[in-house]
Amino acid sequence: MSKPSKLEDLLPLTPPVFHILVALSGDELHGYGIMQDVARQTNDALQLGPGTLYGCLKRMLAAGMVEESDVRPDPALDDERRRYYRMTPLGRRVVRAEAQRLADAVGAAKARRLFDRPKAGVTGGA
Amino acid sequence: MTDSLLSRWFCRIYLVMLYAYPREFRLQFGGEMQQFFRDRCRQVSRTPGAWNWLRFAIHSAADWISTLFQERTAAVREVTVEDCARKTFQIVRTVWSVGRHAQPRGFVAEWAMTLIVFLFATTTLVQAYVVPTGSMESTVMIGDHMLVDRVAYSDHGSWGAHLLPYREVQRGDIICFHYPEDVRQIYVKRVIGVPGDRIHMENKQVVRNGRRLREPYTQHIDPMIDPYRDNFPQAPQWNTSPRGREMFAGDVRNGELIVPPGKLFVMGDNRENSADSRYWGLVPRDYVVGKPVFVYWSYDAPTADLESWSIDHIVDVAAHFFTKTRWNRTFLVPRAQPAEIVP
Repeated sequence: MSKPSKLEDLLPLTPPVFHILVALSGDELHGYGIMQDVARQTNDALQLGPGTLYGCLKRMLAAGMVEESDVRPDPALDDERRRYYRMTPLGRRVVRAEAQRLADAVGAAKARRLFDRPKAGVTGGA
Repeated sequence: MTDSLLSRWFCRIYLVMLYAYPREFRLQFGGEMQQFFRDRCRQVSRTPGAWNWLRFAIHSAADWISTLFQERTAAVREVTVEDCARKTFQIVRTVWSVGRHAQPRGFVAEWAMTLIVFLFATTTLVQAYVVPTGSMESTVMIGDHMLVDRVAYSDHGSWGAHLLPYREVQRGDIICFHYPEDVRQIYVKRVIGVPGDRIHMENKQVVRNGRRLREPYTQHIDPMIDPYRDNFPQAPQWNTSPRGREMFAGDVRNGELIVPPGKLFVMGDNRENSADSRYWGLVPRDYVVGKPVFVYWSYDAPTADLESWSIDHIVDVAAHFFTKTRWNRTFLVPRAQPAEIVP
């Protein structure tokens, strides 16, 4: 079903799709694992519901950004209904391009001093 | 391992809600979404407070509505000629089979409602159960098919308990519970002792908290006195299970069983032919499933046939449905009955 998609057609990504790809850049995860990772990335600001998550995954599968994995990394805690997903090379290129696009956008905003100054006393990490 | 009543309700509601999604989407992801939802429920139930559940419910409903819209419109866009043909065929077939008198939409809606009600009712509120042994004979018989009310004794302090009629298990109640030796089986017995009760038997007569009971619901088929069975509690014997031995070791003092907190002492009404708490120990309160509501069908068949449906049993039912059905037991209500105290 998946047809080769051009990188430019896929950008910009919606926030859920972007965060899902970031989550899958490490290990292969099942749906609930993805949700937890996304919540961690965004400090609980983005809590994916099942409909949102699997709607995104459906479109990402169709676009060839992710694929189903037959690996079962955690057989002890496993349930047969869980499926694991992994990022495809295309997905990796897409998320890199999107991250770059976001970084450029942030850079542009920074250049126009649209960022809050870091508050005194808070030592920010990199 | 066990989910709370509330989270089971949530999962069940969600299962029904999934049917609103387009068919292809549901078939591809429905199972995973259910699993996902259950994991979420578990996570929410670990953090205390009703507020979390409310927030979770609102979040889930919002997710459902927004993605429903999205998937539905996506499904419309992806429709092919083939799909159109199939849909048309389906509609024609439905209208055809329903006939001219009923409206197809009313028909479908009615069946959908029936299905939903059936799903809820059978899994949450009541459960069908067949009695396979004669240990409660005189009150419930082998082959009695009954509905069990699962809400009556739902977990103490659980969320649902505040919404639904609920009371604590009492002496004389008939209860259905998971057999402690094999939790896959459901047993039905009568409650004789609740926590704190002191119980012993003297020549088939139960003495509870120092008072002799007259139990009108019991049946005695053996005039002989078996000391272990009829003068409980004696020393454990060959057919006392390890759980039973634990009870003898831990809860028997001065020739009396003292029912510990959170446990129930149960016996069958057919006292001489009942494997019950005297042999395998006490029933944890959490193992109680519910109380029998009524017998909806009573069919005279051997125990083995009732435990799993075999071809022979189906043939037997087909051939003898009218003669072997005990019509006088249909809609019979097995009653809780308090024992009288002998003056």
